[in-house]
Amino acid sequence: MKLNEPSDCCPKPDAEPAATPACVPVWIIVLTLVLLFVGAIYFDRHSGWGEPAVYAPYQSVEQLAAYQPQSGDAAFVARGRTVYESVCGLCHGSDGLGKPGQAPPLAGSEWVAKDVVSLARVPLAGLNGPVKVCGKEWNLAMAPMGAGLSDADLAAVLTYIRSAWGNQSSPVSEADAKAARAVINGKAPSAEELAKLPPPERGHAVFKKYGCFQCHGPDGKGGVSNANAKTAEQVPSLIYVADGYNKAELLAFISRGERVIPRMNPSGQEPPHFMPKWGGIVTTNELSDLAEFLFSLKPKGDKLDF
Amino acid sequence: MKKLISSRTLLLAATALALVGAGAARAEDTLDAATKARIEAFEKGPATIDISKYPAALKDNYDLFSQKCTQCHKLSRPINSDYCLPSEWSRYVKRMMRKPGSGISSSEAKQIYEFLAYDSSLRKKASIDAKLAKATPEDKTADEAKIKEVHDKYDGK
Repeated sequence: MKLNEPSDCCPKPDAEPAATPACVPVWIIVLTLVLLFVGAIYFDRHSGWGEPAVYAPYQSVEQLAAYQPQSGDAAFVARGRTVYESVCGLCHGSDGLGKPGQAPPLAGSEWVAKDVVSLARVPLAGLNGPVKVCGKEWNLAMAPMGAGLSDADLAAVLTYIRSAWGNQSSPVSEADAKAARAVINGKAPSAEELAKLPPPERGHAVFKKYGCFQCHGPDGKGGVSNANAKTAEQVPSLIYVADGYNKAELLAFISRGERVIPRMNPSGQEPPHFMPKWGGIVTTNELSDLAEFLFSLKPKGDKLDF
Repeated sequence: MKKLISSRTLLLAATALALVGAGAARAEDTLDAATKARIEAFEKGPATIDISKYPAALKDNYDLFSQKCTQCHKLSRPINSDYCLPSEWSRYVKRMMRKPGSGISSSEAKQIYEFLAYDSSLRKKASIDAKLAKATPEDKTADEAKIKEVHDKYDGK
């Protein structure tokens, strides 16, 4: 008997097991389709369809849009934000929360929600004396920091303030800003009237327009108190600037401002008033006229012999 | 995967914020960074002037200068300042004198001015010459006359 021969001793298998074509169970197909469908919905809802602006934790362009300021054209609001950061933000803060002893908050402020004229009056005409903001009393002086803004910039910055930090007031159009300015500056001389005046008188109009008088006193004669300022706790009078500055030095100083006022008592409070940086707010021509006005303030016959 | 995205996003956001923050801080600093640096450089210099070879009559002026000007700033600031012309000192001393509460009378201001003009004409001769070379003829004549005036008043006294 040969070894490799099949033997009869054990029963032969009927057949070798072989792969037979078999259907994929229906439930797997259904499950796959369902998963694909759910995946597609998930992708649609969460991916932003590859939009670069959409990134975690944001899930869609719509959702991102919901976090943007609610009203107004995006570019307009962005412009308002730029104006805000360069003119208002130093005191009122980029977060709109204000700074104790310097500026009240704008976020949630009832002033921001007022009508456009009342709101625009603050940047256009300044605000002096006690006011109540968010239930707290503030007694400060703000120069009309926005008097030099164009109507479009003013509208943009007001729109920004009214829509940022959770504020939800209506946007301000350029026409609104123009109308508000007309109401507030009703009696201000027109550009044509100003052009006819000599430079010192034009400068006087600049002095009024930007509210310099609010801190430096009527006609620059001083007398406004500035607690703990080294300069005898006063905002300096301006009548002798002709003695101490040439025109270039004076213009450089006004443009640069003086953010940090030396303190009388070094460990005492920060003096509430400081010289704002007027460069970029007051125009070059206005600055020149302003300098002529300030030089004209020097009392006649008051001459030093050196 | 989600974790990876969010931590990378966070990192990017943090970097961007840091950059923006640094930019904003620098923008605020440039307010008068140049002026500040200039003043700090002056203040690092010597804080006294050797007046042993100056006319004796100028000693009172020097004392007055040391006493009044240190009310608000270091004496090394004016001593090492780049102001040197009589016209510059005249303006600067008047500017300081007119600050509310300076306690400097006009006659005291004049004495301080004279000391500074005299002192600069010796210690800052090179800067004076450099500035006068660029000045208009009228300004040059005026400043030279003022230097002469103060020397005439104090030399030999």
